[in-house]
Amino acid sequence: MDAYRRIQTGKTGDVHMVVFKDKKILDDTVLDEIKKEIAAYLGKSSGPDVLLDFANVEFMSSAMLGLLGTLHRKIAAGHGRLKMCGIRPEIFQVFKLTSLDKLFSIHKDAPAALATFT
Amino acid sequence: MAGVDVLIAEDSRIQAKILQKRLTDAGHTVRWAENGADALELARERRPEIIISDIEMPVMTGYEFCKAVKTDPALRTVPLILMSTLSDPIDIIRGLDAGADNYVTKPYDPDYLLGRMRSLLATPLGDPAEEATLEVAVAGQKFRVQAGRQQVLNLLVSTFENAVAKNQELIAANEDLSLARDKLQQTNVELSALNERISTINARMIRDLEAAAKVQQSLLPPDDAALPAATVAWRYVPCQDLAGDFLNFFPLDAEHAGLFVVDVSGHGVPSSLMAVTVGRFLSPKVTDQSLLVRQRPDGGVAVATPAEVATQLNRLFQADEFSGLYFTILYGVLHIPTGRLDYISAGHPALLLLSGDKPPAYHGAEGFPIGFVPDIDYAQASLQLTPGDRIYLYSDGVTEAMDKDQNPLGEQALADCLAATRSQPLPDTVAGLLETVVQWCQPNGPLDDVSILGLEWRP
Repeated sequence: MDAYRRIQTGKTGDVHMVVFKDKKILDDTVLDEIKKEIAAYLGKSSGPDVLLDFANVEFMSSAMLGLLGTLHRKIAAGHGRLKMCGIRPEIFQVFKLTSLDKLFSIHKDAPAALATFT
Repeated sequence: MAGVDVLIAEDSRIQAKILQKRLTDAGHTVRWAENGADALELARERRPEIIISDIEMPVMTGYEFCKAVKTDPALRTVPLILMSTLSDPIDIIRGLDAGADNYVTKPYDPDYLLGRMRSLLATPLGDPAEEATLEVAVAGQKFRVQAGRQQVLNLLVSTFENAVAKNQELIAANEDLSLARDKLQQTNVELSALNERISTINARMIRDLEAAAKVQQSLLPPDDAALPAATVAWRYVPCQDLAGDFLNFFPLDAEHAGLFVVDVSGHGVPSSLMAVTVGRFLSPKVTDQSLLVRQRPDGGVAVATPAEVATQLNRLFQADEFSGLYFTILYGVLHIPTGRLDYISAGHPALLLLSGDKPPAYHGAEGFPIGFVPDIDYAQASLQLTPGDRIYLYSDGVTEAMDKDQNPLGEQALADCLAATRSQPLPDTVAGLLETVVQWCQPNGPLDDVSILGLEWRP
């Protein structure tokens, strides 16, 4: 049984992997649960390297960007690195529209992203 | 009652053990057999002083056993208690016919059974000679039973006592029911009080929401808002009572006009609270808070550049960890005499320019949403309008409006829509765009706030 409802977690080397299970991240409640689950998962480690995998996500509200921003600042403050992967074109549009594609480190898929954590 | 010699006929080992223990505790000697045949054997071995027998048993039933005892000359005066569920009046007749002296209904109360034994032992059974043939009709059927008067009397009394005991149980059950009913009524009263409280709270929340919606209205242009040398038209449709979007335009000084569309992430109360807070900093009046205009030492008004405004906003509104709220803004300052528009975009959709007969063109400026990255400078872009040019600012509720298959309306459709209405008066083009968005979102309607602000420069 998975420990979390919204995210699947696992460690590859020193990188904490977070795979979003939802196809749609639109609802405020879903967003809130994701926020809490990520906090619970990363809570124990300080300044970790984190990879967020969006491969399952087909629709995402721009409110999710707020969460990513918070996470980005928090991880950077602990001298960790936050990277993202598996973002399909429609969702990448949300990043591009807000110029955040330039702020976040975004990669094609998990292997490509993991290769950059060295 | 001194200890007596009791014989039990009972096929359930557990029930027999329970009864045996009760009787032994009461000082009696107890023998137990698991059917009528074995019990009869034990009775003949040694005559018991009283017999207690179950009815449903293998090999020999309680009725057969009873009949055997009562027709045995050596045993017939031993009192016999039948334990019956007494579910049918026929059971009484069967007991009478078998010669039973007493009934105890199962499940029984042990104290009640002991009481029965006591009264039976106190009344010695009459002379068998008294026995007569009685005829009774039960449920339309005639029965002939052989029974002595004392036996009939005992059985009658035991049946009556059973009825009384059942009645008492019923009364007790009734009392429980009536207690439960009282409790239910009490709960009902509490529930309606609770309901009333919820209604009150609900009404208050609705009032608060309405008040908040009114505060939010104050962020929008007043009905008589106008700019010199320009026509402005706008539409604003929140998707809930409270929105994260707002827009406005106003003269900043004699030569400059400010215009913006703001989109706070999310919806509802948290977003709208943030919108109201942000709105106070985007005031055209010279106040301590306004980021748009400042008092100059010589008494005049200094207009801040869009880049300065964005940098200040970003300094003031770093997204806190808890709400995760941030906002995007497109803010422009139009130099009214020359038609030069300076603007910034903090993560906001690009503005659309319709110039002369040229096809619509998007003009964006790069910049992160407000609150994302601390201490950054925003790059300012500029646009030179020619007379009759139109610009449109909007929130992503327009381009990201989803149809029922989750397809966004998109930038191309927005441009096409406004190009098609180029010859119409500006207010009609804004209304037409809103209509396009609403149609696109059928049947559910927009899920995001929709803001549109159009301006036509006519010096």
